[in-house]
Amino acid sequence: MTKKLKKSELKRVMVTGATTPIGERLCRSLLADDRVGHVLAIGPDSGAEEMPFSHDDRLTYRQFDLSRNRHVRQMLFGIAKDLKIEVIMHISMHRSMTAKGSRVHALNVDSLRSMIDLSGRHPTIKRLVLKSDVAVYQVQRDLPVLITESHPLNMGGGAPQWVRDRVEADVLACTHMGLSPLEITVLRTAEVLAPGTGSQLLDFLASPVCFRPLGYDPMLNLLSLNDAVRALEMACFAKQSTTIVNIPGADTLPLSSCIERWGRVSVPLPGFALAPLYKARQRLRGTEFSYGANRRRFHYASVPDGSRAAEQFGYLPEHPIHWPTPLS
Amino acid sequence: MLLTPKIARRLAKTLLPTEVMDWAGSLEISDNGHGFDPFGLHPSFAALGLGLCWKLHHDYFRVLSYGVENIPTESGAIIAANHSGTIPTDAMMLWADVLIQTRRIPRPIADHFVPSLPWLGVLFARSGMVGGSRGNAKALLSVDELLMIFPEGVGGIGKNSKLAYQLQKWHLGHTELAIRHSVPIVPTAIIGPEEQMPQIGQINSIGKLFGLPYMPIPLTPLPLPVRYHIHYGEPIPVHLKYKPEDADNPDVVREAAEDVRRSVELLIKNGLSTRKNIFE
Repeated sequence: MTKKLKKSELKRVMVTGATTPIGERLCRSLLADDRVGHVLAIGPDSGAEEMPFSHDDRLTYRQFDLSRNRHVRQMLFGIAKDLKIEVIMHISMHRSMTAKGSRVHALNVDSLRSMIDLSGRHPTIKRLVLKSDVAVYQVQRDLPVLITESHPLNMGGGAPQWVRDRVEADVLACTHMGLSPLEITVLRTAEVLAPGTGSQLLDFLASPVCFRPLGYDPMLNLLSLNDAVRALEMACFAKQSTTIVNIPGADTLPLSSCIERWGRVSVPLPGFALAPLYKARQRLRGTEFSYGANRRRFHYASVPDGSRAAEQFGYLPEHPIHWPTPLS
Repeated sequence: MLLTPKIARRLAKTLLPTEVMDWAGSLEISDNGHGFDPFGLHPSFAALGLGLCWKLHHDYFRVLSYGVENIPTESGAIIAANHSGTIPTDAMMLWADVLIQTRRIPRPIADHFVPSLPWLGVLFARSGMVGGSRGNAKALLSVDELLMIFPEGVGGIGKNSKLAYQLQKWHLGHTELAIRHSVPIVPTAIIGPEEQMPQIGQINSIGKLFGLPYMPIPLTPLPLPVRYHIHYGEPIPVHLKYKPEDADNPDVVREAAEDVRRSVELLIKNGLSTRKNIFE
């Protein structure tokens, strides 16, 4: 039987990006955890004053625009200080691949920089957990299939802002490890195949016919929403805090099987035809999938290695994705 | 047409004798939930790979193998062999032979360009091949897989006939891996492929166009039906002789690699002395 914690021992957690599917699930999960005293949910929407679930007054929602430095300061030294927040779960990143510009960069990178700087001298904040992405890793033919945390990052200047910002945010957090009094945990999660998470693959699978590179069928690893939230919650309570870990999902399968399991038709086409085809689709239908950003992982296998997460957090993927089509 | 595991299994059934398909159809792998391992290996494709090699192994190259008891049946190990023959049929025959003899799927470590070859890269990966990076080898050895490495690399397979049975530059990676991960090395000599497809030259510029390290100009359009003799030597217990941290000592690694090279050389010498002619 677990010992009931005193009120002062309960964790007080702030979740940025709380109105996203991951953020909302994380808030629910934290509120269901009796080790959590209070959850401060931060989102960009003013209408979400009440999160759509019961919380016994253990939840506070506030609207802040994290792309503005002034708002970050007000948030940390205002409501976060008043509520004695100890842990920041930072999952707020622009999810759209097509979104570009300085405001997007400010949300993705500058907000994190401000949070790390300000939290260093904050009276109550002790830990920051950043939800990063395996998209920060370089994928190429001469690199290992199984990606460990020391795998090279995608520093290519030609990468889209969506990737560059994630790499910059990840590196920013990593360079402050040990230098800031803050305990920093970076979770490089596999792609979460769920609506509203900014999943490129989900957008790719939205078409009834999915075109993939002829002659290639790389292995992919995908994470379910439930496992992503479990990993974040584990990081919130982990003893080992200043660390970088990969969070793989329970599904490792080739791209062709992924298309098949999603109930779509797979049509292989020469690689050179795919970029203009998907660019035209993006322009005509306003979709998000960018072949250019996914070209390498559509050719070469890349599977995150979760052994460090298992060792440090006890994390093992438990919830496979609910595929619409059963395994044949 | 998409080659699915189901189709691969059906094709394997048509290519393999029933008694072989009985065990080849139920090979064990570390399945990640969808029938594949993280590197893309699938048992049905491994069975298809064996099916494609079967006729070549049994009827065309008529492979004879010696010392199969030297291949570990369960634990991790590295099979280090000489490489020759202009096209990599020696790797295919060694892969098939180890699978037939031990019913373990060996994991060939291929040069970087192989996984990037369309279709072939996928078929090879489904049959167990992985790209030649330290990370891949480490991951496989940590789960006791049987690795297949050709320390000469492209230098061995691409050499001309004048250099037949002379080992080329012997790379050290296999020894470093074996010491670091405490596994033995099985030195192996493949006799026969040197004579299968003599080269009269190479056009490297055309090879590069297709992502290949070289484009051979062979004397014969197809490999000759030479007989392959595969000699598995006694395992070299580098894991007992050295500590894992010795893998960081270049002198130790060089010395151990030289032991392996000498063993392969001796196996080649003995194999050649007992062979009557290239077809027997």
